[in-house]
Amino acid sequence: MLLEEKNIHVELTHDLLSATAIMDRVRSPKAGAIVLFAGTTRDSFDSKPVKQLQYTSYPPLALNTLLSIARSIKSKHCLTAISMIHRLGVVPIGEESILIAVSSPHRQEAWRAGEEALEECKEKAEVWKLEEFEGEEDSVWRANRDGKAGVKVQKEGLDVKDATG
Amino acid sequence: MASAKAPANHFSVLYFAAASSFTSKNSEHLKAPLKASELFAALERQYPGFKEKVLNSCALTVNLQYVDLDEEGDRNITIQEGDEVAIIPPVSSG
Repeated sequence: MLLEEKNIHVELTHDLLSATAIMDRVRSPKAGAIVLFAGTTRDSFDSKPVKQLQYTSYPPLALNTLLSIARSIKSKHCLTAISMIHRLGVVPIGEESILIAVSSPHRQEAWRAGEEALEECKEKAEVWKLEEFEGEEDSVWRANRDGKAGVKVQKEGLDVKDATG
Repeated sequence: MASAKAPANHFSVLYFAAASSFTSKNSEHLKAPLKASELFAALERQYPGFKEKVLNSCALTVNLQYVDLDEEGDRNITIQEGDEVAIIPPVSSG
């Protein structure tokens, strides 16, 4: 699932993410810098051991949101190109759940744009993380807004298939 | 779309994350038309406790557009037959 326009690419995928592939997407002879951010899944939250993470999304809305973030960051920082990819489904601990790559003529813009794109994405993109903890029956939907756990999920009621996908 | 097209005189409502866990559903069809401002109360009747536990911290979209229920104009929006409504809990990408 993806949306594209000139020098902008946003995508949601159940596949492994490739740092090389996303860098190649933004690579350009006009750019003197590529900044790549890779978000990886951590094995703990508030020192509680996390067994597994899974992400679900509302793809058509999340892609619209990612595209609008990418457009605004690209124009604000005069980027050459920008690409943002979020992985869905189970993401084993230590693997990438998100990649953001930006290219620009000079490094300062790319550094700033990369950070801002990530923060905007975490605040707005319609993607949800479910954490399963070691030794606990219930999983938890996390909220970036306040870092608080949402509703606990009973094991048997667990179903995080994309409603739309 | 996993959620089949709504039958005549109905709209679709999609549940994500905590909303999906609470209702044990990914989507369902409800009777149209319905005022946007009345949706949460209607869902609370169907799922007691839903409002306090989940809906109060959720946003609402109709056909991929956010509806701000604190805005007079948006409160008057009527959800029509065939619309796709979604309950959007606080997000947690990254």
